[in-house]
Amino acid sequence: MQPDESPLELLRAEIEQINPAIILADQLIRREAAELLSVEEVNEAKNILAIGTQEIEAIESHQKAFQKSPPSAIDYVPVGF
Amino acid sequence: MTGLRLATAENGKPIFGFGERLVRSLEYLRFKAKSHNALYACETVSRVVSEQHKYRLYIETFPKDWERSTKSLYRAGYFKAYSERTNEFFQLINDHRFPLLEYWHDDPELELERFAIPPMNFDLCCEEVDFAHLRDSYLAGLMFYFNEDDEIWNYFSEKYGVDKESLPPIKTAHANIWKEKREAKAKPFSDLIRLVDHSTGNPWLDVTNCQYPEFFEWDKETVDWLTEAYQAANLYFKNLEHLDKRIEENAQTFFYQLISFWNTGKIGPERQM
Repeated sequence: MQPDESPLELLRAEIEQINPAIILADQLIRREAAELLSVEEVNEAKNILAIGTQEIEAIESHQKAFQKSPPSAIDYVPVGF
Repeated sequence: MTGLRLATAENGKPIFGFGERLVRSLEYLRFKAKSHNALYACETVSRVVSEQHKYRLYIETFPKDWERSTKSLYRAGYFKAYSERTNEFFQLINDHRFPLLEYWHDDPELELERFAIPPMNFDLCCEEVDFAHLRDSYLAGLMFYFNEDDEIWNYFSEKYGVDKESLPPIKTAHANIWKEKREAKAKPFSDLIRLVDHSTGNPWLDVTNCQYPEFFEWDKETVDWLTEAYQAANLYFKNLEHLDKRIEENAQTFFYQLISFWNTGKIGPERQM
């Protein structure tokens, strides 16, 4: 984390996407199990798994950073208060 | 897509029965209920890839059994992390290749992504040595390691009338006994000592219960290598059967030759006993 970047700025900088493992899992679960994956498909799945796991770890670190963030007052009253 | 669609072959006939399709659908719905959970998705990808890897190995190793198999590709088998079909593969490995489903591998919750093999040799490291259930020839090999222990000598003296005093004294092992290439006469002795010493180079014979188990991967090369090694390991025990017969025929000569081999690295001329 850069010292001048807040957890919120870091989270905003993340790419907005659905975790690719979710998309792949959906494709794999629809597939007939008897139709074996090719070597290329297995390698691709392993790549996506690595990306998906990395994304989960990134989210978890953002969550931890937010939990550690000190509270600060806002300069407006939120609707409903 | 619910998975309830009828799976059909090229001729349009359904492949799976209703039960199989139902299990598949339940599997799909289980996934769908958690489909936006990235952790679960990663687990699903990992599980599908792992299972596919084992299906491929199943087909390569037992193609006819795969064709005949009616085991479910979706329903969990005895090892709950795997389908009935993968469990069938584990069973086939155990029945036709090498022991797999014993020893450490009896817990249905276990994941068999890598596997250990059970030691076939006798452990000398951490237990009190119980000579009672050993073959005579193995016991004869052990005497080099328990030379000060009279128990083995007493056993052979009582059973075969072996006279220790008329045999050459046991010295330090000659370096030549570990030579890889052996003439036919010396090989049975060389194999016996390597077996007792746990230095055969064969994983089935050299691993013990006292060490952290080596884990093996599920790939064709490893499965074939372990299969060959298991067959070779059994030959070592076959060798013990032949050596037992030689002890029964003439124990004194046998011990004379074995000790000569240990001391000099060669059998030498037979001495008349």
